[in-house]
Amino acid sequence: MKRWKRIGTTVAVAAVLVTAAAVAAQAAGDAPRHVEFTPAEVAAILALGPPPAPPRDPTNRVSGQPAAIAFGARLFSSLSLSSTGTVSCATCHDPARAFADGEAQAHGEGPGERNTPTLLGVAGQRWFGWDGAQDNLWAQSLRPLLDKTEMGGSLSHVARRVRDDPALRASYEAAFGRAPPSRDEVVAVDVGKALAAYVETLPFPRSTFDDFRDAMARGDRAAMARYPLLAQRGLAIFVGSGNCTMCHGGPRLSHGEFHDVGVPFFVAPGRVDPGRHGGIEKLTASRYNLLGEFNDDPTRATAMSTRHVAAAHRNFGEFRVPSLRNVARTAPYMHDGSLPTLRAVVRHYSNLDENRLHADGERILRPLGLDKYDVDALVAFLESLSPPLPPSR
Amino acid sequence: MTPVRTWRPLLALAAGLGCASGAAAQACGEALGPGTSLVENSGYVVAYRTEPAPVAVGQHFAVAFAVCPKGGAAAPQSVRVDAHMPAHKHGMNYRATITRGPDATYRAEGLLFHMPGRWDLTFDIAARNTTQRLAHAVEVR
Repeated sequence: MKRWKRIGTTVAVAAVLVTAAAVAAQAAGDAPRHVEFTPAEVAAILALGPPPAPPRDPTNRVSGQPAAIAFGARLFSSLSLSSTGTVSCATCHDPARAFADGEAQAHGEGPGERNTPTLLGVAGQRWFGWDGAQDNLWAQSLRPLLDKTEMGGSLSHVARRVRDDPALRASYEAAFGRAPPSRDEVVAVDVGKALAAYVETLPFPRSTFDDFRDAMARGDRAAMARYPLLAQRGLAIFVGSGNCTMCHGGPRLSHGEFHDVGVPFFVAPGRVDPGRHGGIEKLTASRYNLLGEFNDDPTRATAMSTRHVAAAHRNFGEFRVPSLRNVARTAPYMHDGSLPTLRAVVRHYSNLDENRLHADGERILRPLGLDKYDVDALVAFLESLSPPLPPSR
Repeated sequence: MTPVRTWRPLLALAAGLGCASGAAAQACGEALGPGTSLVENSGYVVAYRTEPAPVAVGQHFAVAFAVCPKGGAAAPQSVRVDAHMPAHKHGMNYRATITRGPDATYRAEGLLFHMPGRWDLTFDIAARNTTQRLAHAVEVR
């Protein structure tokens, strides 16, 4: 309750400060350079930040440790972990492309069927992957090493590379304080944990919106006015009539769960991507979930979600709600990369075909019915969730 | 996710339900300590509190509760705690586990409200081959 009171006080102070500044500006005859947000909208906007800081992971004993982070960074760009020696983590999670690949669907050792998500800010999620088949970042980091369409390796291949490559072996010993053990699976899981330690260091970049949100919290009218008016109007739709924060709320701009948003999930004639339904099946069958022996949290308190997750028929065709932070840098969009631009995404929700929803009675999404100006405004807001681009030469 | 949301009990929901007011209701759940909410129907009183309180959207929480029969109702054989969002016609993505404590108290763990809005927290009490549902509306902000 104390926390809520503190946040409530912040909202009240921000609203008063913003209102007082508005009155002063109007008295001075200045043209309004901002949208007048209601107290409820101010509260909703303040709840969209600040950007969450990368947390330490109690399920990974090397989380946050410099030697493990350095080992993970080395592994991240190592081609030798793939079966053909031609693919690394960085092949699809390209640092120059916001740790995504810019392609509709991933292509590693073979063609994939889903879009490559960014790794920026991924630490701290409850579920990983479009289907949430992993409940921790180290299992998610190990998975592509073993997937035949991604890096095509195996537990023994990964362990052998670490044992036989002098540089990788030395890095392993520095990170884990021991020589690679004889059990291949232990070495491979440790590789996943080192990769996770590195990925945890990739934060959300601070965005133009964050500057506006923090200025609002301070009641800094002048700083707020630097946020483009069109983006402010898009923000008003986002937290207001669009009801987007129902799923894309909180500092992460995602509630971290799963929905069917009307994107077709046929991947080939007669074959579908089951999404969350299949993800829960994989999660519960995995040796690397947080209920298993490789969780370094002896209390297993970190396995709360895994212990209680419930499979339901409606999970079929559901996919994880992605964070919208830095979204302008991670095109194309949706789980299958089928929408090439943010404008296409906004139009998708504006013209949503409710008959395509396989929500088993769930009633969350409605067509937004936006006009062109509203589409422009929402796109401007979504673009503001990234840092400004450097000026072009 | 930073726990920025909270919820507060609203009026009891279904026809025939109402916030408990009698002496029996007031006595129910004393073992839980202060801060409980009460809900009752003709057969039972449920006193409950959440841990933590208030509940934050997107964060797991537990429900400590007591079930008190009244008017000759049978002691519960089993109880189940769940929640759903009437406006969206969906439930939680998690299934609570129940453990029984002393003095007709129980503890439900693993609940999570993943969206803001109104949730109906439900207590299904099974006894003598029938199940009665008591529900309490909470607003997650």
